[in-house]
Amino acid sequence: MNPQIPVFITAALVWAIGIYGLIIHRNMIQICVSLSIMESAVIILLVGLAFVPGGSAPILDGHTGPFADPVPHALALTAIVIGAGFLAIALSLTVAMYRKYGTADVKKLFPWDETQ
Amino acid sequence: MNSLGEYIALIIILACLVLSALSAVLIRGQITTIIVLSVFSVLCAVLFAMLQAVDVAMAEAVIGAGFLTALFVTAADKTRGQGS
Amino acid sequence: MNQSYDTSKKIRHLLAGIFTLSLGASLIWLILEATGMPLTPDLGYVMNSVGDTGSINVVTAILMDYRGFDTLGEASVIFTSVAVTAAILAEPVFTLERPILSIITRRAIAYLVPVFFMFPLYVITHGHLSPGGGFQGGVSLAVLVILTHVVFGHNLAMKKIPFSLLTMGEYWAALSFGILGLLGIFTGVGFLANLATGVPRGIPGQLLSGGLIPVLNLIVGIKVAAGLSSLYITLEGNPRRKK
Repeated sequence: MNPQIPVFITAALVWAIGIYGLIIHRNMIQICVSLSIMESAVIILLVGLAFVPGGSAPILDGHTGPFADPVPHALALTAIVIGAGFLAIALSLTVAMYRKYGTADVKKLFPWDETQ
Repeated sequence: MNSLGEYIALIIILACLVLSALSAVLIRGQITTIIVLSVFSVLCAVLFAMLQAVDVAMAEAVIGAGFLTALFVTAADKTRGQGS
Repeated sequence: MNQSYDTSKKIRHLLAGIFTLSLGASLIWLILEATGMPLTPDLGYVMNSVGDTGSINVVTAILMDYRGFDTLGEASVIFTSVAVTAAILAEPVFTLERPILSIITRRAIAYLVPVFFMFPLYVITHGHLSPGGGFQGGVSLAVLVILTHVVFGHNLAMKKIPFSLLTMGEYWAALSFGILGLLGIFTGVGFLANLATGVPRGIPGQLLSGGLIPVLNLIVGIKVAAGLSSLYITLEGNPRRKK
């Protein structure tokens, strides 16, 4: 049985959940949590693409046989570290916003907007 | 991924992954959300280790469950007040 | 007014749910269509990596040798992140405070910290032999810096690991990465060339093997550790008061 299909479906579902959280939340911390979830979904998709049925991890310590594709692994590793960098920038913007306006809620920045 | 048992374990982990992502989005309370996000990262690391990506699993476990949790808790502590 | 506010919030959440469900369904359809196409993995890296680089971990071989330039770009992204965070939030200042944890916990963790340092050092130095490498070990070191801050209080931690040391570590690691890349240009091969510059290969599978790969792993580990821990310190500190 090929496990790639449920992994792809899970990646799409987790990405959609991240979009949902991004829409419904107004607090910057929870928006950052949703961004982190969406980034994890992309990494799940990359790792699922690299999977080879019946293979093993790409470390060549003696055993033969099929190996997983190592290029998406390197790409996913780069994406994880860069994601940590951009989340740090987002969180520092949140802290700067709290220092200036006294709130971390995006809604309270626009008090004249009655529809939200 | 050879036997049926491993396949069933993979399906269970995927279901837990979707559930933890959903609860991280829907639960009220910032600290609870952050801890559930940490659990989500650990489940991601287990999934990557099952899918033959051991390097990515180690990076996700260290960054998602260790470093980002500390960063999120710090930011939530700094923005705690009457506004949020 | 409150009633209508709640109603509009429910309507908004419902619309967001419908939109998200349709987006997720179309995404699932798109991914399944795209992955139905024949796709053969490129096995050239797996076949040639031991002969080309001397590293038995193929992911480390790609990150540090074949695509070393991309790793340099990623290191510059971390550098930019640290610079932007330090520009948004001011220079961190810590006021005097009592440590939160009790004395027994602090003494126990003080005896255990050298043991904790074994794992990141093992991960960094064995990056070309086992799962791991510069990034994972560097982030583990940054988490250990955060641990000293949380357990022993900010003042003692800033005295033991000063902020200027972290900044200098970031700066010199980035510079030495570029200088090691220039080694390939001076020997006439190309930027960030590894074995073609004439460095010894070693026996693949032993600790001293792979040419420049362990050195690059060490540099990337120092750089990531310094960058991420200074991100945490900048976020944790209070802004300097205006006189």
